[in-house]
Amino acid sequence: MRRWYVILLVAIVLLPVPAIRAQSPSLTIYSSVDEENSRKILAAFQRATGIEPRITFLSTGPALARLEAERNNPQADVWFGAPSENHIDAKLRGLTQPYGSPNAPALDARFRDKENFWVSFYMNPLGFGLNKAVLEGRKLKAPTSWQDLLDPAFRGLIQMPSPQTSGTAYTMVVTLVQLMGEDKAYAYMRQLHPNVQTYTTSGTAPSRAVAFAEVAIGIQFTPAFYQLYLRGYPLLTVFPKEGVGFEAPAISIIRGTRRETEARRLIDWMISVDGQNALGDQETFFFPVHAKAKRQAGLPSLRLVPLINIDLDFAGKNRRRLVERWVNEVLGGR
Amino acid sequence: MDGSTALPATPSGPGAQLRRLLADPMVLLAAILIQGALLVFIVWPLVRVLIVSLTPGGVFSLEAYRDQLRSWYVQRAVLNSLVVGTLTAAASVVLGFAYAYTVVRTAVPMKRLFHILAILPIVSPPFVSSIAIILLFGRGGIVTSGLLGLRDFNIYGFKGLLLAQVMTFAPVAYLVLRGVLEGIDPTLEDAALNLGASRWTVFRRVLLPLAIPGVVSAFLVVFIESLADFGNPLLLAGSAFPVLSVQAYLQITGMFNLQAGAALSVLLLLPSIGAFLLYRAIIGRRRYVTVTGKPGRSSLKATSPLATWLLFASTAAVAAVVVMFYAVIAAGALARTWGVDNTPTLDALRYVFSVGWETIKDTLAIAVVSTPISGMLGMTIAFLVVRRRFPGRAGLELTSLLNFALPGTVVGIGYILAFNQRPLLLTGTMFILIACFVFRYVPVGIQAGIAVLRQIDPAIEEAAQNLGASSALTFRRVTLPLVRPAFFSALVFAFVRAMTAISAAVFLVSANWNLMTVQILSEVGSGRYNAAAAYSLVLLAIVIAAVGVIGLVLRGGYSPVQGRFL
Repeated sequence: MRRWYVILLVAIVLLPVPAIRAQSPSLTIYSSVDEENSRKILAAFQRATGIEPRITFLSTGPALARLEAERNNPQADVWFGAPSENHIDAKLRGLTQPYGSPNAPALDARFRDKENFWVSFYMNPLGFGLNKAVLEGRKLKAPTSWQDLLDPAFRGLIQMPSPQTSGTAYTMVVTLVQLMGEDKAYAYMRQLHPNVQTYTTSGTAPSRAVAFAEVAIGIQFTPAFYQLYLRGYPLLTVFPKEGVGFEAPAISIIRGTRRETEARRLIDWMISVDGQNALGDQETFFFPVHAKAKRQAGLPSLRLVPLINIDLDFAGKNRRRLVERWVNEVLGGR
Repeated sequence: MDGSTALPATPSGPGAQLRRLLADPMVLLAAILIQGALLVFIVWPLVRVLIVSLTPGGVFSLEAYRDQLRSWYVQRAVLNSLVVGTLTAAASVVLGFAYAYTVVRTAVPMKRLFHILAILPIVSPPFVSSIAIILLFGRGGIVTSGLLGLRDFNIYGFKGLLLAQVMTFAPVAYLVLRGVLEGIDPTLEDAALNLGASRWTVFRRVLLPLAIPGVVSAFLVVFIESLADFGNPLLLAGSAFPVLSVQAYLQITGMFNLQAGAALSVLLLLPSIGAFLLYRAIIGRRRYVTVTGKPGRSSLKATSPLATWLLFASTAAVAAVVVMFYAVIAAGALARTWGVDNTPTLDALRYVFSVGWETIKDTLAIAVVSTPISGMLGMTIAFLVVRRRFPGRAGLELTSLLNFALPGTVVGIGYILAFNQRPLLLTGTMFILIACFVFRYVPVGIQAGIAVLRQIDPAIEEAAQNLGASSALTFRRVTLPLVRPAFFSALVFAFVRAMTAISAAVFLVSANWNLMTVQILSEVGSGRYNAAAAYSLVLLAIVIAAVGVIGLVLRGGYSPVQGRFL
């Protein structure tokens, strides 16, 4: 027992001795795409190129916070996923480095950075997820527009994320501001407030509440709704007819990477037609950004989704102001 | 309780302290090593965070603090945090005390089962427990709508948060209080009864005063952990009910404003430090010694039959909620589609064992390594704080609490800032995860140990030393067996938290080390709720097994003292 005690004390002292890290031929990836989908997509990448992905899963906020904290000694080579505005943020903070992939010009301009710091590789529109059982149980008509959500019959039956935490909710705020003008959009959100049961921290939490019949309507990006439908939940996905914004998750190379060649190959492959087809083949329910890529069975044609063009520049510059205004006017009622 | 000092007459003053220490090199060595470790793993990361919060834009300024304190939203968050923290701690201590009293001091049936059930809620698997709470207490919840007939009950906000917090933290209070109640010699109560005191008087004037160190320690740890915790608030508070820990988390991961997040976390430390000072003032220099080495036999007469059955009923009710909670999760793990199609199937469990085996092994490895370190460190610190005098002793207890009092996000960020550069390059290793868990969760062990040690007459240990035993031998053969209930609590808590902690770990995990909670999060993210529930079930099974193993090891490792210490 005494020996154990001494060993433990010595172990505590020795903790600071860094372990020797093995150099293996691979690419270290911080992935903000959900684990299952990242694994499937990156396994296809490994089959195509032979490069082994070493993935750490971090949702957008923690990923950016960690990149910032590790700035002096980057631990990852690539940031994979997270909506493009966060990659703009990373670029402005000097956390990433540019790469002009030969495959990038084939993409629509809104899916890539002019200076090649990031490129989007899929996109998801905003939408309403409806629980059919709850709606029928309460004899409510399915909403088809933003205006429909204001119906007092939906009091406490809607969940949406909070723009304080969630890029999803911020996209919704920007969507409404672009559709209605800023003051009218805030008046709308104030009116919507009593119908919202809670503003969730996570951008994907509303789909959970809808699946478990805690609320009738969830507002968020749509892949989770399709996925839950696939898993057996009675969900219906609706795009409000006035228009919806979208997220376009992107990929960036982290400044100071020691594996630039492999990182570039990941970008080249991901936005090639092959890589884009992998999104559908692997059943991700993500919309590809390459016009020539296949669409997954079960996803609607993009022409049926009333997409609006999100002004990323406006969204990035006004984020703090718009969120504070939301806190003060919508939450605080001031 | 006679107002004399807690220690035998000792020459004081730094000179005398040093001379005593030099005569006892093992204690000196332990004190130096531990203080060094706390400096490196608690103070240094905190200093890095402080620097960030005080230098927005590279120059020293208090701007980040001023900005935050000016906002009405942050002011409300401060208030909410204090209210929820205080109420959670008060309710948890009352509940934990009643529960521990029932298990330790009454002759009711099913005590071992109650004991295990009290520990389980600490596991509280992230996200899955929020689904279970919705299914039990939500709009169509089994309890709210089914049992109580409430219509459109809203679980989000203050009520739901308080409920979840008490459920999560009352077990921690139980862990601390159980050891203390076990240490109080029942013959004292018998003596008071024989002298004609009523049972209520005995409880009020004998048991309760002797249990004060445990009550105050339990209140302190629950208050601090509830303030720093953001798991429950994140899921149940919602934006309309801001709390400080969530605000710190949001500033860092939502607004990418590290300065503001760091500043809020430092603000969060103030009430915790305040609570600590208050605790010191209450415990003071009074004596709580009841364990004097003379064997005591309990007759368990001090509780009237009516009170016993009332306690039994309320304990059973609490235990029933715990059972329901995990029954809902078990049903989810075995259902085809949790909440919709309840056809039983083993698919989810099979999936977990085929996909998640590596993760289970990794998590277990980290927990198994960090648990004994954490337990030993906790007992050693408690021993040093209560029994020895050395320079920096007062600071030791406070320092050990700091990482516990910070939100996990901030601890995680602090660790990256501190340990991502030579000479302390640790990121990406298993060490950093273990160090993080050990130094973050050791305070529960320390507090349990301190509370129990205060009851034990130092004369027992002095007797051993007078007979020629070294400090180390005395600690190992006399002190550790005497504080066994606290040691048990320390080990169990360290193990469970190492298995389930997520907030700090998110910043420290790498592709090499995957944790089960991270896996649960990802299954929830993919809509595979039954798999997430299955993982939680596996987690639960591991924890129950571990509690059993820890109990056995402690029983085997130390010869029991007259059967008094379980």
